[in-house]
Amino acid sequence: MKVTFQIWRQDGPTDKGRLKDYEVDGLTEDMSFLEALDHLNELLVLKNEKVIAYEYDCREGICGQCGIFINGRAHGPHANMTTCQLHMRSFNDGDTIVVEPWRAQAFPVVKDLIVDRSALDRIIEQGGYISAKTGTAPEANSIPIGKDVADKAMDAAACIGCGACVATCKNASAALFTSAKINHLNSLPQGKPEQHRRVLEMTKQMAYEGFGHCTFTGACEVECPEGISIVNIAELNARILKARLLG
Amino acid sequence: MFLRKSIIATSGLFLCLFLIVHLSANFILLLPEEVAREAYNGYSTTLRESPVIKVVAYALYASIFFHVLYGIIVTYKNRKAKPHRYVVNRSQENSTWTSQNMGLIGMFILLFIVVHLANFWARVKLGIGAPVGLDSAGNVDVYEVTYSLFQNIYFVLFYTLLMIPLGWHLDHGLKSAFKTLGFYHKKGLAVVSKISLIYATIMSVGFGIIPLVVYFK
Repeated sequence: MKVTFQIWRQDGPTDKGRLKDYEVDGLTEDMSFLEALDHLNELLVLKNEKVIAYEYDCREGICGQCGIFINGRAHGPHANMTTCQLHMRSFNDGDTIVVEPWRAQAFPVVKDLIVDRSALDRIIEQGGYISAKTGTAPEANSIPIGKDVADKAMDAAACIGCGACVATCKNASAALFTSAKINHLNSLPQGKPEQHRRVLEMTKQMAYEGFGHCTFTGACEVECPEGISIVNIAELNARILKARLLG
Repeated sequence: MFLRKSIIATSGLFLCLFLIVHLSANFILLLPEEVAREAYNGYSTTLRESPVIKVVAYALYASIFFHVLYGIIVTYKNRKAKPHRYVVNRSQENSTWTSQNMGLIGMFILLFIVVHLANFWARVKLGIGAPVGLDSAGNVDVYEVTYSLFQNIYFVLFYTLLMIPLGWHLDHGLKSAFKTLGFYHKKGLAVVSKISLIYATIMSVGFGIIPLVVYFK
């Protein structure tokens, strides 16, 4: 199969950047999208050209590294999927595939398709943890938690921090990410002692990093590889109100 | 961030309530002329003279002002948060066009409000333009102002067509306001979403047909 990639090339943060065309032949439908990019990079090496920089790690949909904007969608044309789980069978022979880095003020481009997502880490640093003694794992039944609460916390905890929510949001809002992290910890007894401080500090950092406001377009929950519901953002808003009044 | 969005949501919800009252009263215009004129003028006189309505009116001006002001601030800040646009963006595949363009749609509604206030509020309350007469019961003849305005096909089209963006704005705005203010019951939100669509349709169609009915009366 043969496709034309139009890939964003940018030498560094200060470079202006541009889309460059690459016609790539010899692909198969069973190749993952990242393997197709690997194939292209091998061809570029043989031609002594600079390879395309992009991020990946696990290639099994759990690490959140492979964030790329493909043909106008975060992580490609499918809903709730990471880029590494996307295969070339999702495209047709002869297609033109436009490949761009995540776009957000808070995600500056490092090189080509790689952006700096450490703004999300700094939100976590403001309260995405519990201040409890570490050590050996505690006895599982020492803190009883109802299944409904545990399920909800686990659904929120599934966030892999890929940044697709920010990338797809027209406002570059990190509300889905931040709400998932907060709701995960605040709904469990372990997270209760610091709940209000966590809400206030993490949302403050979110604003400070230059992410936009959530206007509930709902695009984030469609592109989220973990299918984290936008209801989390509504719940975060309730938590903010509560924290402002009680915190 | 939360405060700004809350102001937009709260003022928006107040405006949603206002529209219900406004449309209910405007349905009087659908009645035959001999009944409608007296009822409509009587109603508007009662409103103008009521001290309660005076307070509500100021709340209304404030709501429009803060809704627009914070709408502009939030839109400006959101654009700053996304300075580089994608070359290709298929946002229509993951969200509605309406939800992506609330600011733009809102500008059409603001234009409508300005024209609408110039046509009615400025004439009846501020006395700008042609003087408004009294009806047989001695009330200010607001019915006549409405009736004569909707003899002009351009105003009829303006008033009717701009109710389409109003409907879009209300549909997204109402359900979004609930989420902004922290209503997070999942099944409840599904109900709110349906109510928003029904509410927006009633408002849009309801306000939209009145000029047409009056024109063809």
